[in-house]
Parts: sequence; C-alpha cells; structure tokens
Amino acid sequence: MRRLNDAVRGETVRLTRTRLPLWTLLTAAGCGGVLTGIVGLTGPENATPPMPGLDTVEGVSAVLSLLGVTLFAPALIGTVAITGEYRHRTVATTFLAVPKRGVVLTAKLLVYGALGLAYGLVLALSAVIGIYAGTVVNGIEAGLGLTAILGTSVRYGIAAAIYMLLGVSIGAVARHQLLAIGITLGYFYLVDNLVMILPGINIAYPYLPGGATASLTGSTALLEMIAAETGLAGPVIQTPLLGALVLLLYVLAASALAAVVSLRRDVV
Amino acid sequence: MTAGTSAPSETLDGPVLRAEGLAKSFGPVPALSGVDLLALPGRVTGFVGPNGAGKSTTLRILTGLVRADRGTATIDEVPYAALSRPSQVLGVVGDLAGAHPGMTPRGHLQTQAALIGVPREWVGQVLHETGLHDVAGRRIRGFSTGMKQRLALATALLGRPSGLILDEPTEGLDPSGIVWLRRFLRTFADAGGTVLVSSHVLTELQQVIDDLVLIAGGRSLWSGSLADFTAEHASLEEAYLSMIEKEMACAG
Repeated sequence: MRRLNDAVRGETVRLTRTRLPLWTLLTAAGCGGVLTGIVGLTGPENATPPMPGLDTVEGVSAVLSLLGVTLFAPALIGTVAITGEYRHRTVATTFLAVPKRGVVLTAKLLVYGALGLAYGLVLALSAVIGIYAGTVVNGIEAGLGLTAILGTSVRYGIAAAIYMLLGVSIGAVARHQLLAIGITLGYFYLVDNLVMILPGINIAYPYLPGGATASLTGSTALLEMIAAETGLAGPVIQTPLLGALVLLLYVLAASALAAVVSLRRDVV
Repeated sequence: MTAGTSAPSETLDGPVLRAEGLAKSFGPVPALSGVDLLALPGRVTGFVGPNGAGKSTTLRILTGLVRADRGTATIDEVPYAALSRPSQVLGVVGDLAGAHPGMTPRGHLQTQAALIGVPREWVGQVLHETGLHDVAGRRIRGFSTGMKQRLALATALLGRPSGLILDEPTEGLDPSGIVWLRRFLRTFADAGGTVLVSSHVLTELQQVIDDLVLIAGGRSLWSGSLADFTAEHASLEEAYLSMIEKEMACAG
C-alpha cells in the first residue's frame, strides 16, 4: 500500500510539473463550451443540412450529441500519458523507482482518472454555458430544461473521464505512441461504427465501447437514423449505469492485458 | 558538480551485488551466455568488455529492467524488485534520456522523490551536490549531454543509496565533473558503499577501481582484484587488450 501511495504521489507531482493539466482543461472547455457555443450562436437551423433549433428537444439533444464526437480527445490524452514514458525513455527511471510495474499502471489510472473527472466536469459545465449562450443571443428558450441539459452533459463528462482511463490502458498495452493513437482512433471511428451497421453482428454493439457510450450518454440519434434509413432494427441500448460499467470493464480488461503482457516486457 | 562536496559523512552499509550464470537472448540474438559478477561493499568494481559484450544487459538484469532467461541477479540476496525501498539501497545511472525533456531538473527530481518516498528537501541538496542548482528551473530539452549526465547522477543519488550502479557515467562530463565523480566514488566506497561502474575509459577506470569483472561475447572472462589483473602488465588498458586478443584468437 505504501508503494501505491508513493506512486500516486509521484504521478501527481509528475503531472503538475508539466503543462498537461492546463492543456487538458482548455481542451475540455473547447470541446464543451466552444463547440456547443458556436453551433448555438450560429443556430443549428442554419447548418447544412438544417438541424432542429435550440428551442426544440431534438435541437438541444443534437447539439449535446456533438460532445460524443469529441470523446477521442480525453482518450488521446490518456494514451499519451503512458506512451510518453516510452517515447521519451523515462520508463526505465520510473520502473527503477517503482519496480512493481502493476503499481505504476494503477497509480497512473488513479491520477488520470482524477484528471478525467476534472476534464468531464469542465466539459459538462462549459457545454451547458455554450447552449444557454446560444439561446440568450438568439432570444429563444431552450427546448430542454436546465436539469435535463445538465444531466446529459454530466453523462458525457463521465464518459470523457472513462475514455481517459481507456486511453491510459490502451497506451499501456500498445506502448508505442503512434500505434496506441492509431488503435484508439481507428477503433472508435471505424471498427465501432462498422459493427453498428452490420446486420447480425450489430447485436453485440451495446456491449462494445461505442454502444456502451451510447447507453451511458443516452445518445441514440445516430442509431435511430440508421434504423430509419435501412429498415434494420437498431441494437438495443442498455441503461446509463450498465453502459458505464461496460466501459469500465474494458478499462479493466485492457489494464489486465497490459499487466500480464506489455508491462512484463524488457526495458532495453 | 561541486568538487569537494557530497562525500558521504556517515558509514554506509553497502549491498552485495551478485549475478550468477546469467543467460539472455533477444529473439534469436544471444546477448549473454554465462555471466557471473560480484561487487562487494567498500569496493569499487569495474565492469568492462568490448562493445556488445553484454555489459548494459547485465546491469539491466541486476536492476530488474530486463528478465534473464537463466541465472540469478540479486542485491543482498534478493532481486531488485523485491527490495522494500530499492532507490534507497541502489542508485542507478543508466540512461541519459531518463527525464522528460519538457520538465525542469527540479520538477523531475521532485517527481522521483515522491515516487521513491523521500523528503522533497533532499531535492535541493542533490541539485547542489551535482552542480545543477543554477539550472534547476530550466527545461531539460536544452541540456547538453554532460548536463543530462549530471541529472542522471542526481536522480541516482536522490535516495541516498548505499550502493551505486553506473553505466558509462563519465560520458559527456567535463574534466572537473570527471574528477569530482572519481573522488565521490572513492569516498563512497571508502565509507562502506558498493560501487559497480561500467566504462570504456580504462585509463580513468584504473584510477578508481579496486576489483574488475571482464566480459566478452556475453560471458565472463575474468573476475578479481585489479592488482591481480594488471600484475604482468603496465596498465589496465594493456592487460585488457591482451586478454581480449587472446579471447578473439581462441574464438577465431
């Protein structure tokens, strides 16, 4: 336990001695407030093709669903957190200080979990501010109440925190920075979407990271659109809690894989 | 580095560093095929051999960074990873690029202090000891090789260990830094500490070591006191070259 305490303190000090926390929170504000603010201020109905306005339930939901597109950002931050150790060859120094490599990974997960929660909080609050800024400037009332908007935003915030952990665990498995980034982006933007639309295979979608994220955030717009266009029944989405648990299971599975395989490799 | 400072003032209880029958291959490439090594408290042990002989691999196995296929490597009879506070037993200088380039020396050492569980106040002392106090707030990415070497030494000394493993520690150091290091290692060993130092600079090594381990082609060729090794030769360099030539002749 003392080793884990030291490792957590060390990872916290390491994090605060770089500009990463500042850039992380600025990224969260950009992905949350700036993105929803720009769409809100210009008016979703002026987009091509036009989207429902912010004075409708669909309009607010559509703008909030944009947060889902930005979830790659915390995942990449988490990925870089651990692959940076290999890229800058600091990993030997870290493993000399903390020879139990599983302890190092656990400490990074805890510290970046906290950073992910901070990211999620800034993402959620700034998204709410962005949407309300849009409604105030356009002189309209939001189609959803504050509680509903805040609730959905917070769910995206929690998803962002878990995605940061996913990034850390994927980075621990891959070790190579470009490979880890490639896996992260490739999976979330290609494989996940392919599984969603392939008949027969898409029954697994709710249990894949993308489906679990949709369950957690309640973002079903894309699934409904595909179902309407193709006539195929959309995958059944789970509850938000189950979605979060499925995502956390992926974090645990990737971390266990890293502990058994990647972290045991020689540091040369 | 500040010459004349940092000599351990108290008696040290140095660890026994021991490797027996080490064998290691990286894929199909054999790196070690039978390395034995012993470094004792109160002694400076030189670890020498040609390029590719397996010195760095041996040191990495001793410190738990690389797993041996066969054989054992222990610090006071236990593997490095099993030590309760490893950085307070053994300081390791092994890689110039051991610190994030975007960090400052102070930030790097504060991180290390937290990781190894020593007071943050020790950071200032080790910065002064290694002559880095004036550049403690500068980003490491702008550092010369010598400055990075000083930082690697500072990292190794941070835990106030009673043993030191140094892989090519004089690389990039200026003459005053080399002299400081030589005096430091001598004083460290005289106080009871254990020093295992790998270097290709044999003339420098001869001035500080008591014992010698020579490896070539991944296996041990000689182990014992420097005096015995150089008994029939004018210098360590001459004795080394003589033994390596004999080995190559046998291998050829």
